[in-house]
Amino acid sequence: MELTAYQIIAPLVSFVALAYAWSLVFRQKKTVWEAILWTLFWSAIAYIAIVPDSITYLTKVTGIKDRENAVVVTFLGVLFFIVFYLVMRLEELEQRQTRMIRKLALKQSDLEPDDTEE
Amino acid sequence: MEEKRNIIAVIPAYNEASRIAPVIRSANAYADTVLVVADGSTDATESVASDAGAVVLSHVENCGAGAATMTGIEAARSMGATIIITLDADGQHDPHDIPAMLLPILEGTADIVFANRFGQRNKIPLIRRIFNGVGNIITFAVTGKWVADSQCGFKVFGPRAVREVDIRMSGYEFCTEIVREVMQHRWRIAQVPTKVLYSEYTMAKGQSFGLGVKTALKILLRSFLR
Repeated sequence: MELTAYQIIAPLVSFVALAYAWSLVFRQKKTVWEAILWTLFWSAIAYIAIVPDSITYLTKVTGIKDRENAVVVTFLGVLFFIVFYLVMRLEELEQRQTRMIRKLALKQSDLEPDDTEE
Repeated sequence: MEEKRNIIAVIPAYNEASRIAPVIRSANAYADTVLVVADGSTDATESVASDAGAVVLSHVENCGAGAATMTGIEAARSMGATIIITLDADGQHDPHDIPAMLLPILEGTADIVFANRFGQRNKIPLIRRIFNGVGNIITFAVTGKWVADSQCGFKVFGPRAVREVDIRMSGYEFCTEIVREVMQHRWRIAQVPTKVLYSEYTMAKGQSFGLGVKTALKILLRSFLR
């Protein structure tokens, strides 16, 4: 079987992502359950890359058969990623605003946690 | 040497001036201090809570129940709390259930105690039962832990949980995050059947379907971003 560059890179990226996810578990920043969910996700990516025929049934479901359709779907994917990125940024900004309001409340009541103990 | 016990009740409140005073008075009977976090309230919540004997902290803007609860927990830690009770400000939870909720912590059999509104005969509207059921299923899907009433704000944190808890989610989704904390820190849990008092007021203030969907999406998004 002749492997394309994508078929080599995608499984490697999946492997690195999985190693990172499980390292977060060992550092107690991620739960085992979350790591299992990530494992399923990245394993599916790697499997589809190595065995592309495994998703031929999608051509029946989606009707994507030719390059033109594939281009449209690719751009939809790019748009989805942009929306996802914007949602993430909004979430970050919201969290930052919340942290500021919470700090202010604690400061005004002289009940700020003592960070020097950590 | 046994740690000196300091029980602090944390009540996040948003525009609850008409309901919060009796909750504070009842909670005062079981806690050394009652701490109210007024979450951007535009009514008299702060002054009513203060008059009823609570220590009051104020958010300048409404941030959500999760953010208010974490502010209360951090303030309680600074006040040397060894046990923290969280309960709603609208009178939905009966503070007389606090002794039963404290028992597993005092006996040393649990690090966190969840109230279970479905554990005894309570008059709970069907729509609430459905919302809570969906909340339980989503919580199980993202944490791998089944809790009979994961979305209830009435909880007791034991000394270990008080030290380790770190809530980052601002809104109602913090209830799911606490279950995640249970899994991450491997806390022992207990679930105690409690009373719940639903009224037209609490029904009107509770989560709508739209808010429920938004909460569910946030939980799924955040669990992916971690």
